[in-house]
Amino acid sequence: MSSMNIWQESLGDEIWLVAINGRLDQTLTPSLEQQLTVLLDDGKARLVVDLSQTEYINSGGLRTLVTGWRKAKQQEGNLVLCGLSGRLQEIFHMVGFDQLFQIYPSRQTAKAALANA
Amino acid sequence: MDVQHVLTVPGRYEEIQKVCQFMADGAAVSGLDQTAIFHIELACDEACTNVIEHAYGGEDRGEMTVSWQLDGRSFIIRIHDNGRSFNPDTVPVPTLPPDAAEPENVKVGGLGIHFMRQLMDEVRFEFDDKSGNTLTLVKKKK
Repeated sequence: MSSMNIWQESLGDEIWLVAINGRLDQTLTPSLEQQLTVLLDDGKARLVVDLSQTEYINSGGLRTLVTGWRKAKQQEGNLVLCGLSGRLQEIFHMVGFDQLFQIYPSRQTAKAALANA
Repeated sequence: MDVQHVLTVPGRYEEIQKVCQFMADGAAVSGLDQTAIFHIELACDEACTNVIEHAYGGEDRGEMTVSWQLDGRSFIIRIHDNGRSFNPDTVPVPTLPPDAAEPENVKVGGLGIHFMRQLMDEVRFEFDDKSGNTLTLVKKKK
């Protein structure tokens, strides 16, 4: 399943990847919210969100990720992040979300961490 | 004080990037560095999102007029709308790590205003019955 800027694929081991391309702002957030909801409602609660192609994120994008993370945790899964640019790392650090999310350099390391959890 | 540069756009989410670019271009010609420009873009994005969500209560219900000017070392941004009065004191304060004792207790309401206050040197909200809301954001050149 995919949209132009957000797509998802199975990484195996019941782990799913959601990748975001472009600016995660009010124009893209509803699509991310919808895709995370579909996955989580389907019981797919071990998620890697790849932000390596994400240029930008605002508070709405952060709220959507926190909501997804919270729902994944409620289902005894997790939502982890990977591939953050320096700018995105600055935003996450500014609001302490680098302490909230598990953040990995690549989708491979993120997947390995989820598979071993 | 430098001349004021003004842009008016419809109150739609897809227009916000245009506002951010207008401000980024203005900040660049005013000599602000890349980090400051990035902070200005994010603060303007949050401010315009608040206008659409809170002052107008949705898209396509009014316009946003934004302006910038340089006053000495201060890059001054004004964002004006004709929507409902917006009182920032009514917006919840987010509870963020490390203040949230448990990650599950994180509360993300009010994150937009939190960003504006973190990123800018001054943030002022004003409301007038006739002219509406005016938000002033100031970023100082280093």
